[in-house]
Amino acid sequence: MKKLKIGFYGITGCAGCQLSVIFEEDELLDIINLIEIQAWPFIKELNYDKKFDYIFMEGLVADNEDKGILLKLRANTRFMVALGACAHTGCIPAYRHFTLKENYAHLLYEKKENIKDIDPNPIDSFVKVDYIIPGCPPDKNEIRSFIKDIVRDIIPKPYNNPVCVECKRNNNSCLLDNKKPCLGPITRGGCNSVCTNNGLECWGCRGPTQQGHKMQS
Amino acid sequence: MKSELIPKKTRILSNFRETSDIFTLILQISGSYMPGQFVQIGIPGIGECPISVASYSKNHLKISIREVGKVTRALGKLRKNSFVYIRGPYGRGYPLVEFQGKCLILIGAGCGVATLKSIIEYIEYHREKYKDILLFFGYRNINDIIYKKEVNKWKNTFNIKIALSKENAKTCLDWDSGHITDVIAELKLRTENTGVFICGPPKMINDTVEILKKKGFNDEQIYVSTERLMYCSIGMCCHCMIRGKFTCTDGPVFRFDEIGYYKND
Amino acid sequence: MNLVVYILKKDVMYDFLLDIKNKFETYVPIKKDITRFKILDNPKDIDFSENSYFPVKEHFFRKKEVIFQFNGSNFLPVELKSKNKIFFGLRRCDLNAIKNQDFIFMKQHNDPYYTSQRKKAVLIGYHCTKALNKYCFCESMNLTDYYDLMLFDKTNYFLVDAKTEKGENLIRKYKKYFKKSNYKISDKDTYIKTRKINKKDISKFYDHKDWDKGINLCLSCSACTEMCPTCYCHEIHDNTEINNPRNAKRIRSWSSCQLKEFTSVAENHTFRDTKEARFKHRIYHQLQYFKERNKINLCTGCGRCITGCPTKIDWVKIINEMR
Repeated sequence: MKKLKIGFYGITGCAGCQLSVIFEEDELLDIINLIEIQAWPFIKELNYDKKFDYIFMEGLVADNEDKGILLKLRANTRFMVALGACAHTGCIPAYRHFTLKENYAHLLYEKKENIKDIDPNPIDSFVKVDYIIPGCPPDKNEIRSFIKDIVRDIIPKPYNNPVCVECKRNNNSCLLDNKKPCLGPITRGGCNSVCTNNGLECWGCRGPTQQGHKMQS
Repeated sequence: MKSELIPKKTRILSNFRETSDIFTLILQISGSYMPGQFVQIGIPGIGECPISVASYSKNHLKISIREVGKVTRALGKLRKNSFVYIRGPYGRGYPLVEFQGKCLILIGAGCGVATLKSIIEYIEYHREKYKDILLFFGYRNINDIIYKKEVNKWKNTFNIKIALSKENAKTCLDWDSGHITDVIAELKLRTENTGVFICGPPKMINDTVEILKKKGFNDEQIYVSTERLMYCSIGMCCHCMIRGKFTCTDGPVFRFDEIGYYKND
Repeated sequence: MNLVVYILKKDVMYDFLLDIKNKFETYVPIKKDITRFKILDNPKDIDFSENSYFPVKEHFFRKKEVIFQFNGSNFLPVELKSKNKIFFGLRRCDLNAIKNQDFIFMKQHNDPYYTSQRKKAVLIGYHCTKALNKYCFCESMNLTDYYDLMLFDKTNYFLVDAKTEKGENLIRKYKKYFKKSNYKISDKDTYIKTRKINKKDISKFYDHKDWDKGINLCLSCSACTEMCPTCYCHEIHDNTEINNPRNAKRIRSWSSCQLKEFTSVAENHTFRDTKEARFKHRIYHQLQYFKERNKINLCTGCGRCITGCPTKIDWVKIINEMR
């Protein structure tokens, strides 16, 4: 059987999502056996011009260079996978939308003129995204089962249960009862409630569940 | 250890395409399968799905499957003499004994025709016990017609109407264009001593029943085959529950008044 | 009720627990931030002031259960490992919840996975003296006696009633801790005053507009079903090894009727698509559907679905206020 040609790329972001693929230490070699990694800036060349089956894209579009890379890669791949919260929802870099530029411009580097930034946006506002692996960082089990599915020609199913499901299964006390603002009930799970297990509120990195809530102001 | 959830290994006698996305499996299996019942068919490692029986025979089992999910797609790739793993038969079938000596109207759409095929084979086997049989089949277009060969055969013995909803030009005189519901709406049907068995997508069932009600059929005459998500098929997992009734053990065939008005359940 | 009841002094109870700890995996309620059933370490940790936040359901109907293993051509037997467990201090509602699950998994269906866990467990109850919190409502759920041993708290000592062979055997084995008594357990001892549901039959209220009071607050987070001691819905999925996809496991895991995925079939059709339908489904399954089929209430009135709810939807109050 022909191996799937896969590329990992990162645009503006912390590269933590690509790292969480590498953190799959125990099964990383098995994964590499199943697929052909054609590009991965961490461990291999960039190969921007080759054709891909799947591209795992990390980070969000924050300047025109990002946008150029993204559009070029989208043209070269069959499927585009948004890897991690920045690519999926914008995450921390997109907080910039909530403030004006003059509020933070003085905090930037001295050579800020060299940065030709545009409004930061997740990748699906520029290109079609076929799959999403959410999370900041994404759960390594989820990455593994995603790769396991695509090599067996199975369409991966997004996990849509709220964080509460896993949090209750881990027998945690409810943070909302302790008057902590936890977004667990409305946030997509799959993270094994890692934050709430340790007493931290869920801050919604995996985006909203698709359970049909109405936003109330 | 015995568990009802462990399936049996079953050989595939043949696997052929009916249309571009529907295929038929013939399985080597003995036992009696009543029309309207279903089996859980699957491949360990991929999953299981409930599929209704499409034949009436003691020696083999025929099922027709549309490729929609991961299990069905994997099943479609299996070749002759490979194995699938099945459990069943499960559920309550169509009340064919109850309707002996009466007329039957069978209405099916898309893959629902597969379920009707088992009824038709049952009737062919016990032809003298039933009066007039009327068949209504609805498909999307000409390439979606499953059981072309059988349909041609049935034309000689039964009254049959076929509608194609997405075929605009009349390619052949035998088909009506439009939904099967439109065809039924135009016809005059005799209501007394008649049973109506319907199998198809949820929306088609609701539309058809509405039309039948206008024509004077009452709830007791209408039987529908319902579709739900199922895992266990033995009335344990609760996914298939419709207002307290289990589709897997009380159904999948319900008299319309048992479940009919619960569109959202 | 047995004619002979036993007395277990409270200070002796600690010795008794330390003794059974050697033979059994003993679970007792321990309060930290919340009360949980945990393996006994120090008997002084036991806290009967509130009911455990989570039920003990997970010990019998486990969160994840391997139904079978498969090696590409044959099914490999699953080893059903289980330990001798004692659950000490279960409330009446939870004992009845176990009764309902026993009914489903052992009577209605012969589920080997549940049975193997359940058979070896001894249930020791602790009878509430008053309603444990403002949400529980067991008085209207017709609870029955279902336990191996039950402790009735009499400030300095416990009256112990044995209901089953298992319970009798345990007392016989550890008889040095128990004293016989002539006390007769009456309704006075078994009565717990709680709030009630004021409607026997809620079937005709299905389309009542008051449900919206609850539905509007519902987030479909399924905390209620995760914490429910009786909810038994589950799903079955397959899992394979990454380097050898022919080696497969079929795994049964909990699932929740509050989620859309619960009823969604191929081609993205969801039958219970609305929050309304899902919310009512849970309550009607607990109070009506199960009763229609099996003549017993599935709900046991522990109130966990309300204490655990992030928005504290008090559906009992909603039902009681319906006109």
